[in-house]
Amino acid sequence: MLQRFLDPKILASISGLDLVAKTVVDGFVAGLHRSPDFGFSQEFAEYRAYAPGDDLRHVDWNVFARTERCYLKRYRGETNSQLTVMLDASASMGYSSHGITKLDYGRFLAASLCHLAGQQRDAAGLIVFDDQIRQYVRPSTRQGQLSRLLHAINEAEPRARTDFGKPFLHFQQFLRRRGIVAVISDLFERPETVLKTVEPLRFRGNELILFHVLDPEEISPRLGEPAILVDMETGRRLEVSPEYARTEYKRRIEAHLRELRERALAAGVDYFLLATDRPLDAALREYLTIRQGRM
Amino acid sequence: MGFLSPWFLAGLAAVAIPVYFHLLRQQRANPRPFSSLMFFERSTQSSIRHRRLRYLALLAARVALLALIALAFAGPYILRPVASSGERSLLLIVVDRSFSMRAADRIERARQAALSILSARRPAAPAQVAALDAQLHLLTEPTASAAELAAAVRSIEATDERSSFGELARAVRALADSSGAVVELNLVSDMQQSSMPPGFSDLALGPKVRLRLHPVAEAAEPNFAVESVVAPAAIFDPAKVRVQATVSGSNSPAARLAVSLVAAGKVLETRRVDVPENGRATVEFHSLAVPYGFTRCEVRLDPADRLRGDDRFQFAVERADPRPLLFVHEARDNRSLLYFRSALESAQTPAFRLQPVTADQCGALDPARFPVIVLSDVEALPAAFEQRLRKHVRDGGAVLIAAGPATARRGRAPVLEEKVLESRYAARAGERFQTAASADPAHPSLRFAVGWETVKFYQAVPIEPAGGRVVARLADGTPLLVDRALGEGRLVYFASTFDNIANDFPLHPSFVPFVEQTVNSLGRVQQRTSSVVVGSFVELRSSAEQGQAVEVIGPEEGRALSLEEAARAQSFQLRREGFYELRRASNRNEMVAVNADRRESDLAPIPQETLALWENTAEGNPEAAVEAGAVQRPWNLWWHVMLLVLAAALAESLVAVRYLSVEREVA
Repeated sequence: MLQRFLDPKILASISGLDLVAKTVVDGFVAGLHRSPDFGFSQEFAEYRAYAPGDDLRHVDWNVFARTERCYLKRYRGETNSQLTVMLDASASMGYSSHGITKLDYGRFLAASLCHLAGQQRDAAGLIVFDDQIRQYVRPSTRQGQLSRLLHAINEAEPRARTDFGKPFLHFQQFLRRRGIVAVISDLFERPETVLKTVEPLRFRGNELILFHVLDPEEISPRLGEPAILVDMETGRRLEVSPEYARTEYKRRIEAHLRELRERALAAGVDYFLLATDRPLDAALREYLTIRQGRM
Repeated sequence: MGFLSPWFLAGLAAVAIPVYFHLLRQQRANPRPFSSLMFFERSTQSSIRHRRLRYLALLAARVALLALIALAFAGPYILRPVASSGERSLLLIVVDRSFSMRAADRIERARQAALSILSARRPAAPAQVAALDAQLHLLTEPTASAAELAAAVRSIEATDERSSFGELARAVRALADSSGAVVELNLVSDMQQSSMPPGFSDLALGPKVRLRLHPVAEAAEPNFAVESVVAPAAIFDPAKVRVQATVSGSNSPAARLAVSLVAAGKVLETRRVDVPENGRATVEFHSLAVPYGFTRCEVRLDPADRLRGDDRFQFAVERADPRPLLFVHEARDNRSLLYFRSALESAQTPAFRLQPVTADQCGALDPARFPVIVLSDVEALPAAFEQRLRKHVRDGGAVLIAAGPATARRGRAPVLEEKVLESRYAARAGERFQTAASADPAHPSLRFAVGWETVKFYQAVPIEPAGGRVVARLADGTPLLVDRALGEGRLVYFASTFDNIANDFPLHPSFVPFVEQTVNSLGRVQQRTSSVVVGSFVELRSSAEQGQAVEVIGPEEGRALSLEEAARAQSFQLRREGFYELRRASNRNEMVAVNADRRESDLAPIPQETLALWENTAEGNPEAAVEAGAVQRPWNLWWHVMLLVLAAALAESLVAVRYLSVEREVA
């Protein structure tokens, strides 16, 4: 019932990004099945067998006294992760064919992820980039962090071109702790280049999620007549016939998506394609799945 | 197919407008933003299909609409054969009534020939009768009434004008074009050679005229005529009059003829003259004793021949006393008076009687009494006299001014008030004297002044010509003789004197004709001629006589002008032989003698070959064209094209509505 609130068109009508994020997350959480694997208010989390190199301060000596085995007692605070959302704000993200742009969708997604992370007491940070880093909010769990994040997300406006190389190079300098990196972009770049750029993050032990946001018209364009298309990033013009859009373009975009998915899988990067006419819950579920894996 | 206004075809360029909108504008319309073009590439297939005529039907309708509008304005037409208008023909009978038709019974034979043509025609066929002299006069409308046509033929009488076949051809061409019928032209004439136009092409009658010639004269009739008479229009001394007559013969043998000078019906003198074969002879009469006033004179041939009209030549002379000529000079200058008087009295026709007066004695004189006034190097004139003199000139008077040292001291030319440029003396060491380097021999003053260029001028007092006509200049360009108009009058300024001091002109033979012709010209003595040719125009009133009645009494002693014409007509055409009396507004009476054009006296007919050629000229014989049905007329297609324009506009509207709905759906 509440799933309908995750419809992007309805979210777009809600003013205030914090309210959007709250609506999304609350609706999403309320719809989950109860599961022992998912708890939010327990102090104690689990015991884990000691391994060489673990800090001896975390050994539960009471258990060792009873069983003569070393177990580490893990608490909730220790399982907190760090989420860094990288939001692409290039000009192409401003495209829309049905009332909601890709950047709007990305904003909702980023805000929802930050809100969800905040509820789980994960440190959340934000990088807004196009061909360079436009905004950076350092990951933190401090009070008011969510407001800062939402403010930064709200200020993101589509401009310039997408260039993965430069912002990701800088981003690696900011990344001090391992965590989850969520990249929200339309990824209009060669898959080889995209993966080559983001792979170094994976090597540092980060969990990497590529949220590939596309407009349904970009996946399957519907041209009723020959048209002149203008590239929103470069301004280049091109005559396009409906026949080409139906056949050749579709073949190329599907090949592009397939290659992205395969290369991401090969690189251990989670890839998730989001069409802007789809609800946001799938994206959040993807995040939580990965989040669970890091607990 | 042709176009009446082919320049409107330039409007076909407007066809480019819909083509532009359909082919070019359509492609560039509505560019759509797209996130990335990395998966698109320029496709040949796309480009070709893009350029196809998307709205073929709409484009075709619009192009057709504009093209048809341009076509309609260009006025397309096609030539269609006319359904044999040859059935509609007009019998046109033209009877020559020129002066030469007075010979013997030519006019009567012409009338009979015309009547026989009328009787031979089909009874219901329309016919028209016309008379030919200098112009073609239509005497009836096209009619089938035999009585009306015969009456018109019988009313034709010979006139004093000459005939012109060129004018006939032009008029018949116009008649055929306007009537649209085939004209069967029957010309009844003496076929005079002198009636032919300069070029044979002027005889072309057009494709719708069929010519039949009916000559009424025998070939080469001999004829004698008084060709011309040279006589003065005004006589002041009958003993000095010389009348010269020229007698000519055409197609005539050598003959001895009696030539008589007749004045007021009385034979004054008869002389015998031998006229060579086809030649001319001249007769001179050395006196013409006529009473005062106008006298009707003529030179007559005896015996008269078949064309009596040209056996006499009429002229009018006016006997009058010499008119007064006021000669104003300085009291100390008697030399000018002496030379000028001598020259005037030596003239062949002394039209003026010299009345000398010194400059200081002329104050009480009225200049209006003198047709010509001579101011011979005067220094000072009484102011009242000079003022009256200036007014007199503006009203039409004439003054001859001679300038010398006295004029130079005055500094200004009298009457004219033009400043004297200089008093130029020929230097003794250098040039010694000057001569007239350039002169206008057409000017009356110099027309008979033979040897004028040898006159030595020692002093000149020139003035600025100021719009006047410079008749003669000295070698250094100094204006010597200036003819200038002032109001209605004239002044002649001679930049030297008549005293044989400033020049030696009075000692030269050219001085006498110079003085005679100058005063005659200023006094308008030679402007009238003793006779004119039939068809000439005479001017009835000058610009100052507008609105005043003028009377013209014709040869039949009747008034030739209606009341309205007498008050308004500017000129009058003299169309008959005889004497015309003109009573002008200023109580001036004139008499004009009118004679027929002597070209009519040559009765030589046109050669038969030429007549045959005229009759059978291809353009003049429409039978072939009519019978072949080849007569074509332009048929205007304007309305048909406009109907197509309407259809195209309707089609365009329907197709456009259809496509507009499609475009809305796409948008």
